[in-house]
Amino acid sequence: MSRIRRFGIMFAFACALGGASRAADTEDLDGLRGRVVYLDFWASWCEPCRHSFPWMQRMQQGYEGRGLTIIAVNLDRERADAEAFLRKFKPDFRIRFDPEGKLAERFQVRGMPTSILIDRHGVARFTRVGFRPADEPEYARRIEDLLAEQ
Amino acid sequence: MLRYKWKLWSAIAAGCLMSAGCSSLGVKPWQRELLSRQDMQLDGSGLDDAIDDHMYFSKEASSGGRSFGGGGCGCN
Amino acid sequence: MQLGADSGSVRRKLIAASCALLGSSAARGDPGSITDQIGRLIEDWKFQSALAYYREDGRIQAIEPVISAVRDLSDGGKLAFNFTFDSLSGSSPNGALPSRLPQTFASPSARSFAAARHLYTVSPGRLPSDPDYSDARVAGGVDWTLPLSRLMRLSVGGKVSYEDDFYSATVSTAVERDFNDKNTTVSLGVSGEFDFLQPIGGAPTPLSDYALFEKGGHETKRGQALLVGLTQVMTRNWLSEINLSLDRFSGYLNDPYKIVSVLDGVGDPVSYVYENRPDSRTRRSVYLDNRVGWKRESAGLSLRYMTDTWGVHSDTAQFRLRWWTAGADQYFEPSVRWYRQSAADFYRPWIPQDGPQETYASADSRLAAFHALTYGLKYGIRLADHFGGFGREGTEFNVRLEYYQQTIQNGPAAPAALQGLDLYPSLKAVLFQIGFSY
Repeated sequence: MSRIRRFGIMFAFACALGGASRAADTEDLDGLRGRVVYLDFWASWCEPCRHSFPWMQRMQQGYEGRGLTIIAVNLDRERADAEAFLRKFKPDFRIRFDPEGKLAERFQVRGMPTSILIDRHGVARFTRVGFRPADEPEYARRIEDLLAEQ
Repeated sequence: MLRYKWKLWSAIAAGCLMSAGCSSLGVKPWQRELLSRQDMQLDGSGLDDAIDDHMYFSKEASSGGRSFGGGGCGCN
Repeated sequence: MQLGADSGSVRRKLIAASCALLGSSAARGDPGSITDQIGRLIEDWKFQSALAYYREDGRIQAIEPVISAVRDLSDGGKLAFNFTFDSLSGSSPNGALPSRLPQTFASPSARSFAAARHLYTVSPGRLPSDPDYSDARVAGGVDWTLPLSRLMRLSVGGKVSYEDDFYSATVSTAVERDFNDKNTTVSLGVSGEFDFLQPIGGAPTPLSDYALFEKGGHETKRGQALLVGLTQVMTRNWLSEINLSLDRFSGYLNDPYKIVSVLDGVGDPVSYVYENRPDSRTRRSVYLDNRVGWKRESAGLSLRYMTDTWGVHSDTAQFRLRWWTAGADQYFEPSVRWYRQSAADFYRPWIPQDGPQETYASADSRLAAFHALTYGLKYGIRLADHFGGFGREGTEFNVRLEYYQQTIQNGPAAPAALQGLDLYPSLKAVLFQIGFSY
């Protein structure tokens, strides 16, 4: 069930993002096997996302070696807005674009931002809606817990 | 007086209709790019409104009616 | 209102909220130097400030600096402070009617007609106004919003205002709940106000003869208000809000400085009496607000209808249109406001000497029937992208100009001696404001 689930998630990914990027995503699927994935849905106009990006950057730098991959899916209607935001924050983690919200729809995003923590077996374990600085320690702990699992 | 009662009730009825049809109205959480803009906030021009309200309060018999949140980016 | 499954979780939430309120984000990492800490402190806050200059044609002028500071708290809540100072001076109508004869009045601080420095004379045909009116007011407020859950918020606020003849304190609280993925928000708020008045010279005995200088001490008044609101996202471009409010004031509601002319059969003033208003007033209003937006423009339309137990009904319509320039760093915002109100039941431009005994009477033009128009234009420029990226998102400089004109409806048929006099002169005022947000 877990492997099917993980395949399902990544397949949904590839489908939603369209043809041109499919080649790159096929590579992604291999790269993600056995890693903990933090899937974040964001947009340039989302105020809390401005706080979440530096935090995600710290998480990526701190835990990449131990198996964490952060994928931030942008939901801006206009690519230019997303790019202006990215120029300011210069993240090291992966960015994907979903301007029509197909992926957001599939993952049932209920608020902005939404982050989904997926364990090494591809099972979505925690979903958080919103980003509050006060929750940062707790979420870092959850990432650590999943990284510790085999 | 009757004319004014009509205005009051039709406004309340509009509100009820709004709330009745409310579950079908709206946008997805990621479609709020325009609603999050500062000039689209109901209290976006806060300081201007406060200064204006003070001016009108000293010259007219009505005041207030505003305040409260909602709308916006819908984040958090 | 369900706060949680058990009181323990409520307590935890309140503790978390207090920590968010009192804690600083500097706790996240190495504190750094003092300048770093100050810099970070300012980083957490958003400021808005404005300086407004208001001037009526031949009457009052005022200068008003305002500042507000808002901080987003780590738990998702908000803390907001605001502070206003305003200074008024000029000539303020005292409620008496123009006459074909010269009229002499005493300023509020006078105890009799003896001391000439407290007197002022008004020429025939002019609207009687106290030429040395001056007042200074300081006011401040705070508002704290704490999230009760992802979809519910509680806010608590207070404000105080201080002038040398008037002190006011208000407390308010409100609850908001979101529905439909935050497309719908329902709010409920209550507030209470207490005012303490200490009129210069003392509060006059209502309807007493002005020349008797029958003045007492201080007075108080109280207010309570209830506000119910519904905000709904209609489409990607359109947001709508409807608010119903009910408020009640009781206590001393008179203007202690306003008088009413008592005229003889011909229309010449024989005496003046201090005004009197009922000691309670209940108001109901419906307020509708709409915002519509596109990539480079936005518009707002708001309507308000108010009715009260003094017999005043009013309609307000305000429309604003904002245009962003091509670079999206500057905007122009013209606006127009139309307002109309009916007169209070006890509004009397004058009292006939031989008329019926009045319980309540006021000649204050605020209670008259009139319509008013405001035309405004605002210009703003975003500074975040200019001057080498000075400031951050939201840094803006703006300038606003408004022109307000109030046209008072003519009262009852004027007696012979008042023919040809402008008994209800229009009020014309200009507001000029500069503002800076950071």
